[in-house]
Amino acid sequence: MNNLGRNSVILALIVLGVVFTREAAAADALVPHDESVYGVKALVDMACSKCHGQTGVSISPLFPILAAQQPSYIEMELQLFRQRSRGDPHARAFMWGIARALDDDQIEALAQYFSSQPRVSVRAAKDPALAAKGKSIYENGVPERDILGCIGCHGPNAEGIHTFPRLAGQHRDYLAIQLEQFNGRRSNGQLRESEIMHRFTQNITEDEIAAVTEYLASK
Amino acid sequence: MTRDHHESRSKLGSAAVRSWRLGVVAAFLVYGSALTLVSTPARAVPPFARQTGLACEACHTIPPELTAFGRRFKLSGYTLTTRPPLVQDVDDHKKDTLWLTDMPGIAVLAQMGYDHYNRAPPDTGQPYPAHAQSDTFQFPDQFSLVYAGAVSDQVGAWMQLTYNGQAGSVGVDNIDIRYSDHTSDNKWVWGVTANNYLTFQDVWNGIGSYAIPNFNTVTLSSGGVAGASTSGPILNALGPGVVAGIGAYVFYNDSLYFELTAYHSAVAGGGSPVVDSVSLAANGGALDRFAPYARIAYERDWGYHSAEIGGSALYVNWIPSVGYISAQQQLAANAAAVAAGTPGTPPYTPAQTFNPGAINRYTDLSVDWQYQYNGQHNIFSFLGHVTHERQQNSNQLVAASFTGASTPIYTNPTDTLTQLLVTGEYYRDRHYGGLVSFTRTTGTYDPLANGGNGSPANQYETFELDYIPWLNIKLILQYDVYQVVANNQSPFNLSNASFPNSPGFPNIRAGNNNTWVVGLWMDY
Repeated sequence: MNNLGRNSVILALIVLGVVFTREAAAADALVPHDESVYGVKALVDMACSKCHGQTGVSISPLFPILAAQQPSYIEMELQLFRQRSRGDPHARAFMWGIARALDDDQIEALAQYFSSQPRVSVRAAKDPALAAKGKSIYENGVPERDILGCIGCHGPNAEGIHTFPRLAGQHRDYLAIQLEQFNGRRSNGQLRESEIMHRFTQNITEDEIAAVTEYLASK
Repeated sequence: MTRDHHESRSKLGSAAVRSWRLGVVAAFLVYGSALTLVSTPARAVPPFARQTGLACEACHTIPPELTAFGRRFKLSGYTLTTRPPLVQDVDDHKKDTLWLTDMPGIAVLAQMGYDHYNRAPPDTGQPYPAHAQSDTFQFPDQFSLVYAGAVSDQVGAWMQLTYNGQAGSVGVDNIDIRYSDHTSDNKWVWGVTANNYLTFQDVWNGIGSYAIPNFNTVTLSSGGVAGASTSGPILNALGPGVVAGIGAYVFYNDSLYFELTAYHSAVAGGGSPVVDSVSLAANGGALDRFAPYARIAYERDWGYHSAEIGGSALYVNWIPSVGYISAQQQLAANAAAVAAGTPGTPPYTPAQTFNPGAINRYTDLSVDWQYQYNGQHNIFSFLGHVTHERQQNSNQLVAASFTGASTPIYTNPTDTLTQLLVTGEYYRDRHYGGLVSFTRTTGTYDPLANGGNGSPANQYETFELDYIPWLNIKLILQYDVYQVVANNQSPFNLSNASFPNSPGFPNIRAGNNNTWVVGLWMDY
């Protein structure tokens, strides 16, 4: 090795040494992350809003509208996602991972945030006759096939209560997919856990799903 | 790098410069540099999943094809996460001044292939009946290290370093650095992208670097045997080591997308930052001034369905890599020879020259489309594009107005090219599936540029069966079938200047180029 080469190596080692020393010093000097800094605003900005919108109003009908949703319901679902107890395909693909790093305080704060957003203004039913049929199913069920009315749990205006979710103004496609997954006929086995919903959707037909979701989406 | 990326390289230069790969070898020899032009298909990468916590299927139907959410993630600058940053600092206005994730998003991408040509192509150095080996392992075909993910809360990047099996060297590959922001209601998402591969920033899969099919080894359509490849528009040929660009985009209501990007020459492997005749030879040409690229798309999503229709426009001033010598240069060279005491035979035989004014102007207009059904068990896609290209050749290089001392390069003042790509895919439970793809290219006859009767036409299908045992491992069986491979695109053809010894090859047919590919793709 000639002088130039040897000098270069020595110089490189010195530079590396300086860099490492500086890096180490820099790492010590930085303020460690404070959990409280990663609050609702940052979470909504960085994650939730990409699918559910900044104010809980999603654009894609595959993702539910969260604005004005019942806070207890949001909290319960986030906890189910975090413990991987809700196993429908979208829950697995999206929410298991999203909820994995949330702590209880963050979950509660998110539930408060979205539930306090103003509810979305809904479009009028495209098919009033279908919506009327849906209203009847929602209120009275289909007694001859053991389908109870939804009104008992979800409320007279489908606004929900406690852990029973608001359904009014929800995306029609989202509601239909959930009903299919509770029912399990088309989705190859009951994919979304809920004993109550499994029972009441057992005999529901596609036409009835179309009717009740049309009604709820326009309510 | 997609197949299309390779396609048009040969078209950009003269018949003497058919192979970008030969150019790479030349550059390697000249500079002894490892920074040669390489590029690979970019795919889903586990760092995104590690950062976001999302499963692959959140963003991809089957990688690299994006779902509606995947498009949103990319346009949001690869930044989504719920993990608290490991290090965070804020200024007095509570604005982040530092935001570091707890893990750098590093991934390994590897692609292996085994290719079997229907017929052994001619030996580039020996006359018939000598021929090349007709089947090879590409092991690895490509091996990449990628950084993929958030750099800060609003900046993200994809930065890829690749060992390219065919080039035999490591080089800088695809890069896309993004800044993104959105309105408070999130209806408007906008951003800035700096990237080195035109169309790499795109989020649909009917056109460009992410067009499906996307598994390419050394078939003729994806770069071919050394010295040959199918022709295509320049839109798909401006990649790493050739260009870099900065652009701005806006995405409204998850449906309307508009982007404007300007590309400029960014030639890799040269000894200096300027583009000269040697770097032209290495890269098959270079971009002159700025190339504007505009992209518009409209997407609509309903239930499990997503449909897109889009268009793009590109204008390129391209300095071709051609064996052109002006009368003035010839005089100067001869004068120098006389001064050196060696007059007589022309001492200066240019392989490539950089001539002011010798610029071809390309205008590419494309329409692309994509329909996806992304159901719980069944995935179906139908996608593709039509691209029409108008190539105005430099007057200096066209036969009728040729001003040089060597031979003209183009027959026509204006050449056109039209390419159609149509692909259909089906996958079941994200485990089994396949695709059928059809490509057809037609254009004006230019015997000087394309050899033979001058046709740049090609037509071929790709049939692919995939088995995906895990979402990050894909086993591929592919068969490429060629109906048309005109003139210089074919390694078997007599007029292909890269194979000067091939005369004598009997019974040449397009089907000679049919290729079986057995592939393995994985990333971790």
